[in-house]
Amino acid sequence: MATNTEFHFDPKSIKRPVESLARYYGLVSLLSGPFFPFAFVPLYLKYMTLRYQFDESGVSMSWGILFKREIHLTYRRIQDIHLTQNILQRWMGLATVAIQTASGSAGPEMSIEGVLQADALRDYLYRQMRGARGEKEATSHEPAQDASADEPLVLLREIRDLLKARSLSEGRPS
Amino acid sequence: MSQQVEQVSKWIYAGLWGVMTRWFRVPDRPPALPSAVGESVESFKPAIGFLNYLKLQFWVGLLAIDGAILLAWIAITIAKPVWGLILLAPALFLAIAPDIVVYLAIHLRYDTTWYVLSDRSLRIRRGIWIIHETTITFENIQNVTVRQGPLQRWFGIANVSIDTAGGGGQQPHGQSNPWQASHCGLIEGVADAHRIRGLIMSRLGQSRTAGLGDEDLNSRSSTWSSEQVATLREIRDLIAAST
Repeated sequence: MATNTEFHFDPKSIKRPVESLARYYGLVSLLSGPFFPFAFVPLYLKYMTLRYQFDESGVSMSWGILFKREIHLTYRRIQDIHLTQNILQRWMGLATVAIQTASGSAGPEMSIEGVLQADALRDYLYRQMRGARGEKEATSHEPAQDASADEPLVLLREIRDLLKARSLSEGRPS
Repeated sequence: MSQQVEQVSKWIYAGLWGVMTRWFRVPDRPPALPSAVGESVESFKPAIGFLNYLKLQFWVGLLAIDGAILLAWIAITIAKPVWGLILLAPALFLAIAPDIVVYLAIHLRYDTTWYVLSDRSLRIRRGIWIIHETTITFENIQNVTVRQGPLQRWFGIANVSIDTAGGGGQQPHGQSNPWQASHCGLIEGVADAHRIRGLIMSRLGQSRTAGLGDEDLNSRSSTWSSEQVATLREIRDLIAAST
C-alpha cells in the first residue's frame, strides 16, 4: 500500500494546504481559551495565503498579507527532515514536515503543513537529498569522469608522439 | 500467583496498546526507509537494558516521592488523628495513581521508540502523544558522539548522538532537551553503541564531501570543455596530416 501511494504521489500538484488545516488551526486556537480570536486570525490568514511550489530542484513556500514571507530552498541542501504528528494531527490525517538546512537558526527553516500524504512527501524529499541515492551516482559518474578526464590526456600524448616522430624524421633531436 | 499477575498485567498492557494504536493512531509497526533493492535495512528498538534503566529511575523516584507522602501523612496523623483518617484515601491515591501512569508511560515510551539504519541513512521515531520522526543521510553527518553515564554502564547501554551541520544555539549539547534538537539525532539506550558508531563513521569516511550540500563530484570533474577537446583533436589531426 505504501508503494502504491508513493507511485501516485506527485508533489508538483501540491499548491495549497488542505482544508482540514484550517480546522486544525481552529482547534489549536481553542486551546488558548479566551484569546481564541487573537490566536485564530493570524493562523487563518496564514492558511488563506499559504502557497507551495515544488519543482525539479527545490521547494518554495509563501504566506502573509501585510508581512509577506517567502522561503526557497533546494533539495540538495537539506540536512535533515523531521516529520512530527501530535495526536490531533493524527486524528485529522495531518502532519508537519520540517526541513532543515545547515544554517544557524534553531528552528526548522521550513515547515510544510497541511499535506495529507505527508509520509510520501517526506520520502520524496528524502530521495532528493544528498546521499540518499549514492549507489546510482557512484556507478554512473565514476566511469564518465575517467573517460572525460582521459580523452585530453590521450590526445596530448598523441600530439607529443607525433611531434617527436616528426622531429626525429627531420634529424633534429629535440 | 506471580505468574497470574504477570499474565493479567500483560493483558492490560495489550489492551492499552490496542487503544493507543486504534484510537490514538500510534503506529504499531516500525518506520520504513525507502531503499534500493539489495540494500540492508535494519530496524531495532533500544536494548532491554534501557527499559531496566528507566525502571530503576522510576523506582528511585517512587521511593523518594511516596516516602515524602508517607512521612507527611504520619506527621498529620500524629498531630490530628481525625485529619489523618480523612486524608488517608487522598494520600493513597496520590501515592499510587501517578506511579501506575508513569510505569505504563515508560513501557509505552520503550515500545514507541524505533531506530532504522540503512546503508545510506537513518531514521529515528520517538514519542507517544507527539510522534517525531527524524531522517538524516550519512552524507550529511558531521560528527558522532557516544555518551555513557555510570548507571548506563551498569546496564550496558549508551547513547549515540549524531550531529549534522548547522546551529540551533539555544541547545547546548547533552543538556536541556536533545530529543527535539534540530540538527541532531539521538539513538538512546543501545547495547551496541560502538558497532553503530563504527558503522556510521565508516560511511562518513567513504564520503568525499563536506556534508554541506556540496554538488556531486562529476559536476566539477571535467576541467576540459568539449570545445577544448575538439581543438586538441584538430591539432593532432593537423600534425598527423603534415607528417
